Amino acid sequence: MSGLLIDAEACVGCGRCVRACASGGIVVEGERPNRCAHVTDSCILCGSCVDACPVGALSIERDEARTDIDPSAYHDIWVFAQTDAAGAVLPVAFELLGRARELAAQRECRVIAVLGEASNADDAAANALVAHGADEVLRCQDDRLATNDSGVFAHWICALAREYRPEVILYGATDFGRELAPGIAVRLQTGLTADCTVLEIDEKTGLLHQTRPAFGGNLMATIMCPAHRPQMATVRPGIFCAPEADANRTGKVTDVELDAAVASRVRVVEHIPADSQASIAEAKRLLVLGRGIGSKKNLPVMRRLAELLGAEIGCTRPLVEAGWLEYRHQVGQTGVSVAPELLISLGVSGAIQHLAGISGAQTVVAVNEDADAPIFNAAQYAVVGDCVEVAQRLIAQLEAR
Amino acid sequence: MRIIACVKAVPSSTEVKMDPKTNTIVRDGKQAVINPFDATALECALQACEALANQGADVTVTALSMGIPATADLLRDCVARGADSGVLLSDRAFAGADTLATCYALTLGIEHIGNPDLIVCGKMAVDGDTAQIGPELAGAFNIPCVTDVSEIREVASDHIVVTHVTDEGHDVVEIPLPAVITVGKDVAQLRMPSIAGVLAAEDASIEVLTAADAGADPARCGLAGSPTQVVRSFVPERTHDCTYIGGDIDTQVHALANLLKEMN
Amino acid sequence: MTQIKPLGAEFEEYLRDESRSVGSAQTISFPTCEDEIRSVLRKLYPAGTPITVQGSRTGLAGGAVPAGGHVMNLSRACSYLGLRRDDAGVFYLRVQPGVVLSELRKHLTNKSIPTHGWDTASLLALDELYAGPEQFFPTDPTEASACLGGMAACNASGARSYAYGPMRGHVSALRVALANGDVLSLRRGEVRSHGRRLSLKTESGALLELDLPTYQMPHTKNASGYYVENDMDAIDLFIGSDGTLGVICELELALMPVPAVTWGVNCFFGTEDAAIAFVDAARPVLERAAAMEYFDAEALDILRQQREASTAFSALPKLDAHYAYCVYVELEADSQKEATSELARLGELLEAHDGSRYDTWVARTDVDRESQRFFRHAIPESVNMLIDERRRTFPTITKLGSDMSVPDDRLADVIALYRSSLAEAGLESAAWGHIGNNHLHVNILPRNDADYAAGKKLFLKWAAKVTEMGGAVSAEHGVGKIKRDFLTVMYGKEHIAQMASLKAQLDPRAQLGRGNLFAPETADAARKEAE
Repeated sequence: MSGLLIDAEACVGCGRCVRACASGGIVVEGERPNRCAHVTDSCILCGSCVDACPVGALSIERDEARTDIDPSAYHDIWVFAQTDAAGAVLPVAFELLGRARELAAQRECRVIAVLGEASNADDAAANALVAHGADEVLRCQDDRLATNDSGVFAHWICALAREYRPEVILYGATDFGRELAPGIAVRLQTGLTADCTVLEIDEKTGLLHQTRPAFGGNLMATIMCPAHRPQMATVRPGIFCAPEADANRTGKVTDVELDAAVASRVRVVEHIPADSQASIAEAKRLLVLGRGIGSKKNLPVMRRLAELLGAEIGCTRPLVEAGWLEYRHQVGQTGVSVAPELLISLGVSGAIQHLAGISGAQTVVAVNEDADAPIFNAAQYAVVGDCVEVAQRLIAQLEAR
Repeated sequence: MRIIACVKAVPSSTEVKMDPKTNTIVRDGKQAVINPFDATALECALQACEALANQGADVTVTALSMGIPATADLLRDCVARGADSGVLLSDRAFAGADTLATCYALTLGIEHIGNPDLIVCGKMAVDGDTAQIGPELAGAFNIPCVTDVSEIREVASDHIVVTHVTDEGHDVVEIPLPAVITVGKDVAQLRMPSIAGVLAAEDASIEVLTAADAGADPARCGLAGSPTQVVRSFVPERTHDCTYIGGDIDTQVHALANLLKEMN
Repeated sequence: MTQIKPLGAEFEEYLRDESRSVGSAQTISFPTCEDEIRSVLRKLYPAGTPITVQGSRTGLAGGAVPAGGHVMNLSRACSYLGLRRDDAGVFYLRVQPGVVLSELRKHLTNKSIPTHGWDTASLLALDELYAGPEQFFPTDPTEASACLGGMAACNASGARSYAYGPMRGHVSALRVALANGDVLSLRRGEVRSHGRRLSLKTESGALLELDLPTYQMPHTKNASGYYVENDMDAIDLFIGSDGTLGVICELELALMPVPAVTWGVNCFFGTEDAAIAFVDAARPVLERAAAMEYFDAEALDILRQQREASTAFSALPKLDAHYAYCVYVELEADSQKEATSELARLGELLEAHDGSRYDTWVARTDVDRESQRFFRHAIPESVNMLIDERRRTFPTITKLGSDMSVPDDRLADVIALYRSSLAEAGLESAAWGHIGNNHLHVNILPRNDADYAAGKKLFLKWAAKVTEMGGAVSAEHGVGKIKRDFLTVMYGKEHIAQMASLKAQLDPRAQLGRGNLFAPETADAARKEAE
């Protein structure tokens, strides 16, 4: 019988498991020295208590999985090659090919790219996949695959997977990949691990160790899919490095069919291209200006710096109040909360109301004259100095490059 | 017509810390709340219901969840806010489910409710972050699915028109019903209940289904029915220390330029 | 060693506060502890340099806006110092003045109070605190980024003051540095005045014999001028003294257990009369109401516009077209069951006063409470944005916000006064605030310089009328610099002079908080007289 096991001998009755449990699934009862944890009907086997136990008294046991699947019948690593509207393969597919090659080398298997595209497409995409590491490309040129329709693609890939039996399928965790992969997982009745940041393979068993963040990145979990095939994972763009294209690499391109009965059920009414005037809430890079920039006449300097950095401009409240910038630029509790990968803060002292709005930033670089400014408590990199001068010299350096 | 909103109870805080004394992971088990994305899903379901009712259709909204018995309170809250009924799948057998086993249980719940025209899910849950349940449900029923919907433009008795996020911007798409959509957080804000709603929900009964009630195959439920297994969890290391870039201004700017280049 | 730095362009923001008025100063310091505060004071004492003490600069009366001289900003004196528990089981937390309310709340909720440098007794008390039911500090000014020192300096209130009173009652001890660097240690219950005569001994042994002003304070919510009463507790003189008597170096806060259940309810009405009648009827009936707040039609309309106009406000809950006036009631209860029956009672009251159980928003979850908080907070925020916009054309105008309170039986009268005189003067306005305490913030939104002048005149008229009704000219914001003329209207010149001479006894060179409560000249005159 699977479930949460409590080693009464090891349990010290400290109660950490109770505090860790969000569902009331465990209680600590009894008088010392017989005080011990007990599982309740509310246990959801999430494992929080196992992680929290300081003495290793808790474990989750599971019965040997019973499936009819013979893992040894499955082989090769597949990479789903998503294309854009123009038919070009997305960089994330090359990144996956790069990692798949390394895994395949350990496992001594092949890397196969799966490519669906319009009927009039040329060989460019398939060739690019080979050049980036595919040993074979399973290609279907069919107008039903010309647009990213998750229903059509799911039917097609499921049919291929049933026929070819891949050991692993990797997908980019793009918007489309995240819509497509679960539909395949449920149809093939197999596991799917989302947004992996680390992929490793056991060269003997072929078991894929998939590590991913959960709880908004506050917790990492390593996940395996021991008894079901294919093992499937999605990976965010930018996690792995794409290998250099090698035009001399050779690989096979196999054209495959899409079942005639499959039809799209989604009608695209309108494409709306990505917004050119991006909102600062979604900006990847942000230059945030504070009163320390001194005067409105320094704004052009800051705009130039932002341009060179490819950053959007945000600011603190006083600048909006002074009419230097519009409200949509205001970052903070009363403005916009931002979560850029890089935030460069110039002349911002870091009032608590402002800091509340930048807590989502991954890396904060702050420049301020006051070495004790609270902004530095929120920064990973600090420069104490006149932000206007720093900006001007930085522009000179960046322009020189 | 029948609209089903799938909701999940999640911890109110997703903060995770390392206990420095015991070197164990501390997830503070706070009160369960409705997953914020699912709150939006419920609001979308209620708005779709109002739109259809205005067209003269007879529509109901059912909130569906899988969870511990206490999750019934969460469903009661959904009823207070306007859902017509709540159904809870609750059984020890469902415990430890990964997305596939969860999808299986929800599928049974949906079949029990019967004939859904529209299934609305949150884009993802803030504890698991997998974003898989919506598209898996669509796959299980072999009905169309649109994920990460940012706007519901039109709801009719046989189709809906929605805008959703794609890798190249947004697409406005029309899909026939029945269908599954998953919604982003900013699409709509879940309405607060009125006093009348809260008092009425006090008397509403939430239907609780065990695995047996739902006719579940034990081998496909919970831990036993989950292809994936968590073999290890750990708290990622983070550096919060601030590095001061010293020296004269030229040195500082040079170091800064290099730093920015590295981040490119 | 804390530095007195020249106040250059990089510190320009420290010349202003949330009142939007701008002052001037030559130097600034950021002391981080009592010793540093005292060292700065001792340095500035010989020359009699004016000193304006600041916290988070969230005040609305200009109390933290410097009037020349030195700015002492205490936002970096933000440590948690210790904890004790008395025999009755009450926890008392000692903090530095720069601790921010929102941080304090977060630490209490997350059980994460920083304990650097704490003694064993404090750490033991902390274990008890964390083991028991969650505790909170009840004073809740709308601006949670206020700091505790500033809140004590102006005797802050907030929505929950309806049930819990202002900050005063929740401060059990203060350490106050005087202008010469000497320190008063004040603990509630230890030193009382005899009639209106108060003797205080400083830590260095100096004896201060103080004559307290002779006025009677109104029997309403009040933050106007020094708190004086016969046989009063010495600590109360310093709470609400607007930074004019000394510098708060340390506070001890009395904590309370969090109520088991807190539900917020926005109730909407079609007319103002219905809303007022509901409040009058609800006050005696809803015994567990912690707050009763009000938002008038103009305030709700501003929110409607803001919600459409700005993405930052698109998360505001949608207001139905027929929602014209809103009364927000916060209910506390010991159990869900009790809360539900109180809610049912509230529903019945609404049905009896032209409201409806359907036209309500009930917040029982953190997310919904946050929605309601955002709703309440968005109104002043939006009004400020509107005024900022207008200031670009008319730089001299500011928002004119009233802060007056009257006794319970004059609520309808004072609202009638506001409505008739606003209509007569043809001024744009938006009103909101603490209707449970008969304390509304009527905000005049000047469209030009003439409106601004007319609004100021109107406020002086209201100050006189509210005083006649037995009310207070500043119920919670403090007097600061912006409302000192009203204080004269309320107490008269003679009593103002008494306040100034009390100040001169504690601050002989008239350095602290110049321009707060009374004009600098008044303080200087009192100082000369004392000499």
